[in-house]
Amino acid sequence: MKTNWRKTLLAAVLATVAILFTQNSRAQDAAAKSKIAVVISTLNNPWFVVLGETAKARAIELGYDATIFDSQNDTAKEASHFENLIAGGYKAVLFNPTDANGSIANVLKAKAAGIPVFCIDREINSTNAATAQMLSDSYSGCVKLGQLFVKSVGKEGEYAELLGIVGDNNTWNRSKGFHSVVDRYPGLKMVAQQSGEFDRAKGLEVMEAILQAHPNIKGVFCGNDSMAMGAYQALVTAGKDKDVKVFGFDGADDVVKSIAEGKIVATGMQFPKKMAQQSAEFADEYIKGKRDFAQKIAVPVEVVTKENVGKYGDYGKK
Amino acid sequence: MRAVRWLIAIVVIASVCWLFPLFHVMSLKTATAEKVAATFNATQFAEMFWTNQLPTALEKTVTAKTLLPAFQSDAAAAKKKFSRSVGLSEGYFYFLRGEGKILSVSDDEVSLAVTEGSTNAEVSLQTGLIFGNALRDGTGLLSANDYPNSQDFNDISAALNHIVETRTLPKLREQAKVGAKISFVGCAEVGDEATDLKPLKVIPFQTKTE
Repeated sequence: MKTNWRKTLLAAVLATVAILFTQNSRAQDAAAKSKIAVVISTLNNPWFVVLGETAKARAIELGYDATIFDSQNDTAKEASHFENLIAGGYKAVLFNPTDANGSIANVLKAKAAGIPVFCIDREINSTNAATAQMLSDSYSGCVKLGQLFVKSVGKEGEYAELLGIVGDNNTWNRSKGFHSVVDRYPGLKMVAQQSGEFDRAKGLEVMEAILQAHPNIKGVFCGNDSMAMGAYQALVTAGKDKDVKVFGFDGADDVVKSIAEGKIVATGMQFPKKMAQQSAEFADEYIKGKRDFAQKIAVPVEVVTKENVGKYGDYGKK
Repeated sequence: MRAVRWLIAIVVIASVCWLFPLFHVMSLKTATAEKVAATFNATQFAEMFWTNQLPTALEKTVTAKTLLPAFQSDAAAAKKKFSRSVGLSEGYFYFLRGEGKILSVSDDEVSLAVTEGSTNAEVSLQTGLIFGNALRDGTGLLSANDYPNSQDFNDISAALNHIVETRTLPKLREQAKVGAKISFVGCAEVGDEATDLKPLKVIPFQTKTE
């Protein structure tokens, strides 16, 4: 009888230990599942590296494991990342899409799997796929840059435009904002408008070709800072860097420094760190139960010039 | 018997294809027309907004006689009470109406004194080229959340600015004379309080001179 009692006690202790161990293991498992994915269109551009790294750092600060996925500007790679992150049990996606239309399907897949997606900087053409979209107000920023362009280049003369990726809404919001101003001055003639695909090397290559065909241009408006740096390099090589005024968009550190040195006239500061941090905070709020997010949240763009450049640096305001 | 089976099979396949056609044939003209119909037409939308929505929103305006003393005594409190902003922007908009006396007229603006006995330009009606989103965002009637593609939403700004430039401003420029009384309804964008409040720069969409 005494032996039976001891056996029962031993079994109870073992069972309690087993339950505690299982619960602890489950808790560790749950903690391990609190992962946030940061899917970035390309890491071949320092601006997007800052965007991705800041989102990841803020997610980690908020207590999550965070991983960056590089889509290399390829929607198919992006789709594969989404398959993996859905299978991998990620709790939220901080997403910089490759294509305004092509990326919608990926977001819908995540949504169907119960994973919220927060778009950063680049938009998808849907209002019922992402949980929220945090987007730079590129149009307004480029209206301001257009006004500065007219003031700086003058109301007459030839100019060129380097467009970004043709399938991206930012490309056209920037171009349309710029043209909503510049096109009102009939003396300003756009002699070339070509895509530099938001890429520095491509921007350089396109600018070299434009300069050969149109040596008298007075200004070039570039849809991002990488292309502005490429265009400036082409102008230096052609010995025209003092004659042609270069305008960029993004607020990349090398362009902000070039503005201070008088090499580039202006850029539009997009505040990638602010957008990235806010998107991680949104994901955290969602995971904790919040559901009412505005679909499209505009983040203002500020124009950086030689006069106010001292206020800016490190991808934001000092 | 075999022929009957074939006949039944053909009838079944034909019926299925008729009910659920694998493709539609249409003329290029029809296809283009359908594509155009599916494309957002900002000009048409702005026209409808201008004619139907905007006139019904006048009750949402704040009067200049209320707003100006309010932001002169406490700009932050006036901003909180009467303005609206978009997204994370620090800039903001006022949707206002008022009456005043014309103090000066230039190519780009008509300056007004609005408060009783004032001889200073307190409101500047913008009469040059109109850029930006003040008319689209200032009224609070339109939201980016309703537009899947932000390009469409931005096109509304350009279309509304065009309406003001072609309808409101020519009449205002023609009728504005120093000393005349004028009433107005419009939107003001404040990006920099140091420069945009004194005078308050208003893009008018309705004006009437006495």
